[in-house]
Amino acid sequence: MTRRALAVGLLVGLAAIPRAARGQNSGGIPVDATVIGVGMTITTLRDLAFGQVTKGIATSVLPTDAGAGEWQVLGNKNAFTQITFTLPTQLSNIQALPGSTMPITFSATSARWRRDLNNPSGATAFNPAVGTTGRFGPATNATLYIWIGGTVSPAAGAKPGVYVGNVVVSLVYL
Amino acid sequence: MTRRLLLPLALLALEAATLPAQGVVIAPHAVYIDARARSASVLLYNPNAEPAEVTISTFFGYPVTDSLGRIVLRTVDHPDSTDRSAAEWIQAFPRRLTVAPLERQTIRLLATPPAALPDGEYWARLVIAAKGGQVPITGVTDTAKVKVGLTLEVRTIIGMAYRKGAVRTGVAISRLRGAVAGDSLELWSRIERQGNAAYVGTIHGSLVDSSGRVRAEFRAPIGVYYVLEPRYAAAVGALAPGRYWLKLELTTQREDLAPEVILPSAAVRDSVELRIP
Repeated sequence: MTRRALAVGLLVGLAAIPRAARGQNSGGIPVDATVIGVGMTITTLRDLAFGQVTKGIATSVLPTDAGAGEWQVLGNKNAFTQITFTLPTQLSNIQALPGSTMPITFSATSARWRRDLNNPSGATAFNPAVGTTGRFGPATNATLYIWIGGTVSPAAGAKPGVYVGNVVVSLVYL
Repeated sequence: MTRRLLLPLALLALEAATLPAQGVVIAPHAVYIDARARSASVLLYNPNAEPAEVTISTFFGYPVTDSLGRIVLRTVDHPDSTDRSAAEWIQAFPRRLTVAPLERQTIRLLATPPAALPDGEYWARLVIAAKGGQVPITGVTDTAKVKVGLTLEVRTIIGMAYRKGAVRTGVAISRLRGAVAGDSLELWSRIERQGNAAYVGTIHGSLVDSSGRVRAEFRAPIGVYYVLEPRYAAAVGALAPGRYWLKLELTTQREDLAPEVILPSAAVRDSVELRIP
């Protein structure tokens, strides 16, 4: 288990302390922690980054690449969750006048998901434009990982600068 | 700060220092509002070193199954009077907030249902949207360069239920069937909710041989709001030809929900014979 998973897992574990424990004293030490029930957290592990691209040449990031966007979700073991994306079609140059854009596309295999294991190799591919139903792992601190890649196509005359956009991932607890 | 919180918070703080972006912890992941109180709350915790911008909204939707037996959320933009929607009259406060690093914030949910609302359970979905990390903008020293980055935003959608008066639930199982395909057991069934509240529980399926030995099984949380026809799969080893029993059981036991929000109901079971040629 990674330190990150351990840390978040500990919080979820803290949250999962039975309600009967509320207000109990332990060896005379007052305990006033708020018991909040089992929680869920979605963690952005990595933004999708194409880095520096060449004008006139399409650049792709695969979901298995180091530049792929990645999320870690902690939730209820074995539970199903619907994964959907809201994807941009254009990126905007934030250092140029408005209207300076760059196309971005996502293929039918641009996204992947996997239970428990933080490794996109061997993960289940899916079309981010369609979405899919994933499932949390069987462990107590059940984990689900999601990766996304894509392709940007800067025009030969693209203005220099930083092109940005927003990808939204939605997870529905079913 | 309590001792119980110290260790995880310290670890989270350590982690946050190394993370480029992080979402918020949301608890609980299912909200139940009693008609006598008409309010509830959701706790957000930001384990990140950066503030988290959060927006809250609601809509009406419930789980259904698609043609492949996958459970998906059906969203209803304009629910009618038969839809048991509470989305129009449950409000969240605040709807926009910033959660400071290592801080908690509470979202209050207030229900203002219409008068003469019949007894039963009414549903909505709560959307918690948290902005992820920001793409570093440090300027481009070489004006010939083009840099690209995408900001990621996460939306967590959890269920809300408003309960008024006498609420009861149950399920009826029908059309149980299964097949062994390669190294997997596939199981299908039709599960219809009974009563006036969603059935929230656990589904357990198994394949048992003639000696009573379990050869394959699965267990998963399930929420039946109307009707589901889910497909489940479980790993199974080599099976000798013969007769087996496919068993399905639904109970209202859930480890992840507080006992007081569970609507108890008797376990429901069904089984069919499965012949392996």
